[in-house]
Amino acid sequence: MDVIKVTHVQKRFGSKDALADVSFSIPKGEIFGFLGPSGSGKTTLIKILTAQLNTTNGQATVLNQPAGMMHHSAQKMRFGILTDNSGLYERLTIEENLELYRQLYDLPKASIDRVLQFVNLSGERKKRFSVLSKGMRQRAILACAIIHEPELLFLDEPTSALDPVNAAHIYKGLRYLNEKGTTIFLTTHNMAEAELLCHRVAILYQGSIKAIGSPKELKRQYRDNQVRIELTNGEIHELPQGEETADRIADWMKRGFIDRIETKEPSLGDIFIKMTGSELL
Amino acid sequence: MSISLKRIQAIFIKDYKEFTRNYAISIMVLFPIVFALLYRGNESAEMGTYGFLYNFTFAMLTSFIQACLIAEEKERNTLRSMMMTPASTWDVLIGKSALVFVISSAVLAVVTYLLGSEPANIGAFLIANILSIILYSALGTICGLFSKTLLEASLSVFPVLILFTGAPFGLLLVDDVPLLKVLDYMPSSQFIELLDVMQTTSAIGEVAKPLLIMLAWTIVLTVVSVVMYQKRLKDE
Repeated sequence: MDVIKVTHVQKRFGSKDALADVSFSIPKGEIFGFLGPSGSGKTTLIKILTAQLNTTNGQATVLNQPAGMMHHSAQKMRFGILTDNSGLYERLTIEENLELYRQLYDLPKASIDRVLQFVNLSGERKKRFSVLSKGMRQRAILACAIIHEPELLFLDEPTSALDPVNAAHIYKGLRYLNEKGTTIFLTTHNMAEAELLCHRVAILYQGSIKAIGSPKELKRQYRDNQVRIELTNGEIHELPQGEETADRIADWMKRGFIDRIETKEPSLGDIFIKMTGSELL
Repeated sequence: MSISLKRIQAIFIKDYKEFTRNYAISIMVLFPIVFALLYRGNESAEMGTYGFLYNFTFAMLTSFIQACLIAEEKERNTLRSMMMTPASTWDVLIGKSALVFVISSAVLAVVTYLLGSEPANIGAFLIANILSIILYSALGTICGLFSKTLLEASLSVFPVLILFTGAPFGLLLVDDVPLLKVLDYMPSSQFIELLDVMQTTSAIGEVAKPLLIMLAWTIVLTVVSVVMYQKRLKDE
């Protein structure tokens, strides 16, 4: 069953297409990464899928409903959202903020303890939001977005401006959430993050999807078919795969010259540059 | 139209906690009380003076606090986050207006007690106050939704203060500028007219006209604030 289905979606602001003709679907239980540089249309798509924007053309369904219906209370119970400008109440403690969200989602009191443990903030629950570090703030906002254990979670650049330790906390939490059945739609310009978390990714550039598939598939598709060999004397050879290379490797092996041998695999960042001719900024 | 009392209560409690910790805004409750203390026992004070004090309270307390509460939520992106929860438009607007309603009612009760005002028709007086609180809350909501920041919101209330609180004074110039007769239909002018009428009579026929005009203002401003809020749900 597809949790999200986007068919030929176009979004135009004035004379500029933020999204040109975007189609993809996301099955239940997947972590799907939407990759692209700033201004490529990632946030626009999240806004369309959460009924904050209408499409100019095309159709989008979320949880088997037209995306435009997502503003209804019953639908909003089913998804959670965290964007890079989500906010919480500065003068309230983490616990008071969560208490508000608990009541808005009509959840039992135990949901606060559960979600605080999940984001590793149980010890800081009495701290005001205004005194928290950037990483703790982001985790507290994530806690509010997932307190109701949504079927679908939208994350727009969830770890932007976070240090690696805090980002790792978030990744761990997201994987756990996904294992419990939450489908995750993640936008990021961080290729390493996408590789680490996502089952599939789509690469968005200037409003169009340039490639879609699992990171492994994309790497296989875009690898340059070369083998990288490091010899014991320090020499490095990059050779095309084939009979001639196999003979040379066999020869080096017989003589015990090989220190390290690997296929040369592109990163998602390399693939992006290859497809668009543009750096991912 | 879905309304959840539980969600309204949650938003009210949250706003109450924020309000009591935000001294820059919560101090506003003292101004009408200080003015009432100054006017207390002043034999020469007329009903118009009392009316001015009530209108000042509606603008500087009800509208100002509501505008600041909404604008601060916008500035810190908490309003958009709340819009993404199951809270409906009505849950958010009623929840966010409830605190201002309770505070305004309490301050107006204190002001009325301090002034020793004894309206002949207590029912009409209460209805006028309730309508005024709702319409000035709606005005505050509109100011807050229009403003990008808290600072902008606090400044945007001043035109409201001048136009609404100043309308009865504008009527004093109506002989020189006949166009100013239109100010007679402002809710602040009608509130003072109601206080005047109630000095001499408590007949329903006499108090009905000002109340109906205030009701019309309340309906129009509430509809405008709801439509504006729903537009803010979208980023078009």
